[in-house]
Amino acid sequence: MATVAAAPHLPQPRSTRLLRKRILVYSGLTLYAVLAGLPVYWMLITTFKADRDLYNLQNFPLWFNQAATLDHLNLLFNKTGFTGWLVNTLIVAVAVVAITLVVAVPAGYAMARLRFPGAETLSIGIFLTYLVPTTLLFLPLVKVIASVGLFDKLGSLIIAYPTFTIPFCTWLMAGFFRTLPQEIEEAAMVDGCSRIGAIPRVVLPLSIAGMLTVAIFAFTLSMQDFIYALSFVSSSDQKVVTIGVVTELIRGDVFFWGSLMAGALLAGVPVAILYSFFLDYFVKGITGGAVK
Amino acid sequence: MAGAVTIAARRARQWRSLPDLLERQSVLGVVLVSGAILYMLALVGYPFALALYLSVSDANVATSGLGNFVGFDNFVSLFQSSVFLTALRNTLFFTLIAAVFKSFLGTTLAFLLAENLPGTRVFRLIILLPWTIPIALSSITWKWMFDSQYSIINWIGTHLGIIHGNPPIWLGDPNLAAASIIIVNIWRGFPFAAIILLAGLTSIPQDILDAAKMDGANGLVRFRKVIVPMIAPVLFIGGLYDLVFSLTDMTVVNLLTNGGPANTTHVLASYAFLVGVQSGALGRGAAIAVLLLPILLIVIILVLRSLKRREI
Repeated sequence: MATVAAAPHLPQPRSTRLLRKRILVYSGLTLYAVLAGLPVYWMLITTFKADRDLYNLQNFPLWFNQAATLDHLNLLFNKTGFTGWLVNTLIVAVAVVAITLVVAVPAGYAMARLRFPGAETLSIGIFLTYLVPTTLLFLPLVKVIASVGLFDKLGSLIIAYPTFTIPFCTWLMAGFFRTLPQEIEEAAMVDGCSRIGAIPRVVLPLSIAGMLTVAIFAFTLSMQDFIYALSFVSSSDQKVVTIGVVTELIRGDVFFWGSLMAGALLAGVPVAILYSFFLDYFVKGITGGAVK
Repeated sequence: MAGAVTIAARRARQWRSLPDLLERQSVLGVVLVSGAILYMLALVGYPFALALYLSVSDANVATSGLGNFVGFDNFVSLFQSSVFLTALRNTLFFTLIAAVFKSFLGTTLAFLLAENLPGTRVFRLIILLPWTIPIALSSITWKWMFDSQYSIINWIGTHLGIIHGNPPIWLGDPNLAAASIIIVNIWRGFPFAAIILLAGLTSIPQDILDAAKMDGANGLVRFRKVIVPMIAPVLFIGGLYDLVFSLTDMTVVNLLTNGGPANTTHVLASYAFLVGVQSGALGRGAAIAVLLLPILLIVIILVLRSLKRREI
């Protein structure tokens, strides 16, 4: 398939070297795509495969040997809390995005535009909080969350996730504000606007793309968490989707693989695709301007 | 003269009302960052300090207080525990092995993507899946792929002629279980390594590479002497990010092996979870997590050093 895609673009006589190189590059990429994609493909096949087909390796397992089935999806939606977990995920996501925007946008603006005492220290400090692992914080946070009465509640995740979305998104917003020409506020300020007035009137409307990126990241980074959700929440009806899928579809030693993979597919792949479209901003965010 | 008076008067006025005060950059700056600072102090700074305290206490999930001060008892007993020592060794060993493979796979992939042939975007989307899919969901998928009876990996291996005779029981054997954890870590991290490198590669002006080529530097020499030094800062931050993740992640271990068989595959993070949350010994758990700090610090210094040396 890869070589076919290359064919129309080949220059006619010039060289077999170029052709050889293209074949090499495409076969390399194909190999990597198979390595990367196999688990996701297996998720997809498992989701729609009847159990009798799934647990029979005499047949060719990578395709359907019996009619595809919706049984696993049926079980997932009707016999587990899956829809509830999706709703919980949405609630947590919206709240975390809101907190992150409210905190990170002003902080990012200040870091990009204003000269104030301690600005340098602050930007280093924010970078360092990246390096404080959630593994170190989850145990004391159990205590903190219990003391404010949020243990085993969605609220625990809503207050915990901004600890990693805020530093990242502040950096991202600061980088974004630096790309806006300074003249924008200056012009508004000459026209009699105060800086406070200029921010909502001229700066924020130009920053919608940046804020959207921040919102996407606050959401996708929250979806990557496992340790907080596992440590703070144990009631089935308070779980977010990632944790619900990997904990509630296992009864003792029995794994409901069809429904497990259905849940992983439905919750994971949309997030993955969304994330990958914004990945370049992520790279820019963590390298903090080291890349042009 | 009159101008100077107006400026002085305006300055005096700035001190009087709140909106005027906010026009001063030093005041507005502090106000705008205060939300972030307070949030991080309350939910990162304070828990960080609390983690240090818990590590020298006998705090427990069941008791409401913060336990009693027990000095270095937690640390002493940890270093006498064979499970802890295994977890410590695994943390370093898994991270190191995975890093070697991720660097190799990531580098070759970055050069393939940098060719930017038609269709690269589609390949990129597929190849990024391991990095972008939530780690808990991919870990459980790998558990299914390593299943003792219906492992798709064993089926493919057998049919490609790589596996002969009885298929391996991946998660039931200490060495294979360790290999499985490393495989998932590599699978998850190599796309990120490639993307970071690619971002660096595309930032290097082509004429510098051409000049090196004219001077007779071959591909490998160009990579080591021109490309790596030029993108060292990016490599440093990307490498750091990946190392922090690899050293501190408990998701893969927790879902794939849960430390088994017989506690041979724990890493510090999964062991801290086992002790701190599942057994409820917050103090001991915190002590395990706190021991990640010196390891992180050493790793950061080593990475920084090796990149500095390359720059010279």
